[in-house]
Amino acid sequence: MSAVASAPAKLKRTGLPVPLIIIGSLLLVFVCLFPFWWMGLSSIKTLRELYTIPPIWWPSMPTLENYRKVLFESNIPRYFLNSVVVSVGSTGLALILAIFASYGFARFNFRGKPLLQSFVLVGQLLPTAAIIVPLFITLRVLGLVNTYWGLILVYMILTLPLSVWMLTSYFKAIPVELEEAAIIDGASRIGCLFRITLPLSVPGLVSVLVYAFVTTWNEFIFALCFATDSSVKTLPIGLAEFSTEFNTDWGAVMAASVVMTLPIAILFLSMQRLFVGGMTAGATKG
Amino acid sequence: MGSVSIRDARKSYGSVEILHGVSIDIADGEFVVLVGPSGCGKSTLLRMLAGLEDISGGEIAIDGKVVNALPPKERDIAMVFQSYALYPHMTVAQNMGFSLKLARAPKDEINRRVAVAAQMLSLDPYLDRYPRQLSGGQRQRVAMGRAMVRDPKVFLFDEPLSNLDAKLRVQMRSEIKQNHQRLSTTTVYVTHDQIEAMTMADRIVVMHDGIVEQIGTPLELYDYPDNLFVAAFIGSPSMNILGGKLQSGQFLAADGSCIALPFAPTGMDGGAVSLGIRPEHFVLDPTGFPAEIITVEPTGSETQVAMRLAGHDVVGVFRERITARPGETIPVRADQARIHLFDSQTGKRIQQG
Repeated sequence: MSAVASAPAKLKRTGLPVPLIIIGSLLLVFVCLFPFWWMGLSSIKTLRELYTIPPIWWPSMPTLENYRKVLFESNIPRYFLNSVVVSVGSTGLALILAIFASYGFARFNFRGKPLLQSFVLVGQLLPTAAIIVPLFITLRVLGLVNTYWGLILVYMILTLPLSVWMLTSYFKAIPVELEEAAIIDGASRIGCLFRITLPLSVPGLVSVLVYAFVTTWNEFIFALCFATDSSVKTLPIGLAEFSTEFNTDWGAVMAASVVMTLPIAILFLSMQRLFVGGMTAGATKG
Repeated sequence: MGSVSIRDARKSYGSVEILHGVSIDIADGEFVVLVGPSGCGKSTLLRMLAGLEDISGGEIAIDGKVVNALPPKERDIAMVFQSYALYPHMTVAQNMGFSLKLARAPKDEINRRVAVAAQMLSLDPYLDRYPRQLSGGQRQRVAMGRAMVRDPKVFLFDEPLSNLDAKLRVQMRSEIKQNHQRLSTTTVYVTHDQIEAMTMADRIVVMHDGIVEQIGTPLELYDYPDNLFVAAFIGSPSMNILGGKLQSGQFLAADGSCIALPFAPTGMDGGAVSLGIRPEHFVLDPTGFPAEIITVEPTGSETQVAMRLAGHDVVGVFRERITARPGETIPVRADQARIHLFDSQTGKRIQQG
């Protein structure tokens, strides 16, 4: 009651004291970011400095030599292009298919729905090693080994199940009345999907997009098996190529890693705002 | 211009039938309220009318045209949902113009009609706002505006006021009523609140367990309920029902006290009947029965008294101020002319003569 009298008196905070929270957060950030910091740092060191023990924290003469090597003397630019084509292609395809599949699962009742939904997940449960050979045989029969389409389709299979599940739950959370209102207003089912449901699902779509893109961008095993020609190899394979039997050019690996990480970092930073929910606020009730 | 004719409409989910043949005729321009307790099928019936639910049996016609197989957009109806269902990513103006936009109406035509509706609902200052920036009452108005803009044959309301607080509800009630008087568009309004039904309706349809119990004007239902369900459902506090039997033209209550009837039902002597008397039809009368007071609830203008009379707990509402305390007795009498009599077996009203 006295708190009411002394107007500016603050409510007492509950939980941990502020300094502890700050220290904890800093520690967490440090642990998460240290590898990136080390990667960036190593990419501008000379080879000799890389092998110095104890490690040096800041190179005496920072060099861009590693980047020059990676960008102008290796296959990395080509692999980068391949990665972009494959990731964008499979993400786009997975997103389009996931939208329609999820909408069906979220809004319609049909025979065998639970069974179909669990089958979507079964693909996700199989260990990668177990499906590589069958997939390879399938791709060879279809003539898709060492093609963009081969990798795009394989990656689509990889990311589609979880995408469908994520979007299904997102669509389910959107009030059905909104679509009913749209139907009464004269919209078709497809109209409902594109004019009402999708605009309200932007955070969900963005999560799926980021998930699918990052997964395919970083994928290594399938790329290693299905893309043996340098015209379709992707970045993770390119990274591995700097390691030969007797030697690893760590400076180049680090520089290439930075190149590979940048698109993901940019993707996350640009989409960050869209992750935030609350799109349906004000739709129903008061 | 839109009349609605519902003929023996049935609805089943699997083997469970929840609407058992409902027939209602609604004249052009009429304001009809479907009222009933939860689960009576009133909302389902409205959604069948809207085209959001299939019609399992029977026939629904709007303006003489059977619409059973027509999708909602070809039925020329507009619906206001309980949850408003405003499109959150569109402004008020876009929400209201959405149906016209879908119908590919010219832009200036959309703007003109949205402006007219907004004017009518005093929404002009809010046209550029998003639903989340509006209060509950304003959202409710936008939902109505969205329906009005289309100038449909029939307005459908599905419990539109349930989410508002009590004061706003009363205000919106009269706004809806006023809009109906101005537009005189046929309106079907679903509610579980009998006060809303009484105050707004031209005619009320009382539904219960998937059947129509009675259709009539509010005062018809109040003065001449067809059966025990309607008698108990319409009116607040609800009608007191006393069980007993008929004996030589008089009502004999369970505890043996006799109440004289306004008329003598023929051919029912000795039969089990229920006597209904509305709380406000009790009068204080020194010659009446002694009733033991249980609680007294004064509201200022009147006093509501729970009391024990002839072996039954009953409620009376008196214009007089009651000073007696719980445990004491007051003499009360039922206004003989206002007594209702029902057959206890069938629940049907026993008519005079």
